[in-house]
Amino acid sequence: MGVTKEDVESTLTSALKPSHLEVIDTSGGCGASFEIEIASEQFEGKRLLERHRLVNGALAEQMKHIHALSIKKAVTPSQWKPPQ
Amino acid sequence: MAAALHLCGLQSFFPLRTRPSPKSFPSFSSSLPSSSSSSSLALLCRSAFLRSFSSSARRRPSATAASFVVSAALGKLSETELVPVPKGPEGLDGKFPSAAGVYGVYDGDGGLQFIGISRNVAASIAAHAKSVPDLCCAVKVGLVDNAAPDRTVLTSAWKSWLEEYIAATGKVPPGNETGNNTWFRLPQRKPDLRLTPGRHVKLTVPLEELIDQLVKENKVVAFIKGSRNAPQCGFSQRVVGILESHGVDFECVDVLDEEHNHGLRETLKKYSNWPTFPQVFVGGELVGGCDIISSMAEKGELAALFQK
Repeated sequence: MGVTKEDVESTLTSALKPSHLEVIDTSGGCGASFEIEIASEQFEGKRLLERHRLVNGALAEQMKHIHALSIKKAVTPSQWKPPQ
Repeated sequence: MAAALHLCGLQSFFPLRTRPSPKSFPSFSSSLPSSSSSSSLALLCRSAFLRSFSSSARRRPSATAASFVVSAALGKLSETELVPVPKGPEGLDGKFPSAAGVYGVYDGDGGLQFIGISRNVAASIAAHAKSVPDLCCAVKVGLVDNAAPDRTVLTSAWKSWLEEYIAATGKVPPGNETGNNTWFRLPQRKPDLRLTPGRHVKLTVPLEELIDQLVKENKVVAFIKGSRNAPQCGFSQRVVGILESHGVDFECVDVLDEEHNHGLRETLKKYSNWPTFPQVFVGGELVGGCDIISSMAEKGELAALFQK
């Protein structure tokens, strides 16, 4: 059974308390490929690698079924700029 | 005669996906058309060139410094304007057309060193100017009349210039002689690294230790799906492209190579605590995967990383 966008969203929301979160299912429905943009307080003072690790860690269970997870943005709330 | 020649620029600037691997690149002479005359070539006469050509008796006004100042049209090598190559990369900006064509490189004594063809003449000249500045003092450029010309059009243009030079001088430009690799931008891409000699060989140390040694002994290592020459995953391809475009000297390891890197995928994921590939290590530390490398490249942070 594939992972849904909602699964990813709820998992990330509870784990990272993001101030902004956007999950895009890029798999065409099979649930194997997602793009994520996320802003969270927990990224404060962390390198990009560590931020990605937090996201990957939070999604550890789902990652077993996800083929491609693309973290487009992992920023702190103050760094978050809405797209023009 | 042709068997003693090879050509370089074309191969260097084929798009990544279509570039043949150096090893398999065939002897160029075998693919040459049996005959060609310059009149049969579809070669471009750009207006900028026509202006300068028809008024070659007087100085070309420098105000024509549009992007294609020096685009010569074909005809003959001897009739094409010789344009000095500016020293330093800034002067090269926009000096030569980023289009497909044939070009001849001249040294400081006005001797023809090399005739090459390229899908991006400006990039080829810039690469030569960087790698062999002393031999790259002036160039002649002849564009072919097609944004994406068939390879035979380019090779015909190349052949016509070369034949003209040989007819006039009785010799081959030194850079076109077999065995002269001066003008190859990428003489040989490095082979991919392998962790083990083969699956049948019993390892005396754990795979983790081999990984650990590998990433610590090599400054930049990319673990990718597929080989450096033919990445088998879009993310791996992008990472290889970014590293190459930054001129990074890096090692590649193919995590799909079950013969030589058996078990690497699972072991590496644990070693690096990172779930996906590609993975790029610099100085023994994981920098990240495709997303991180891409975003660092966009922000211009990569150069600093690789300078360390």
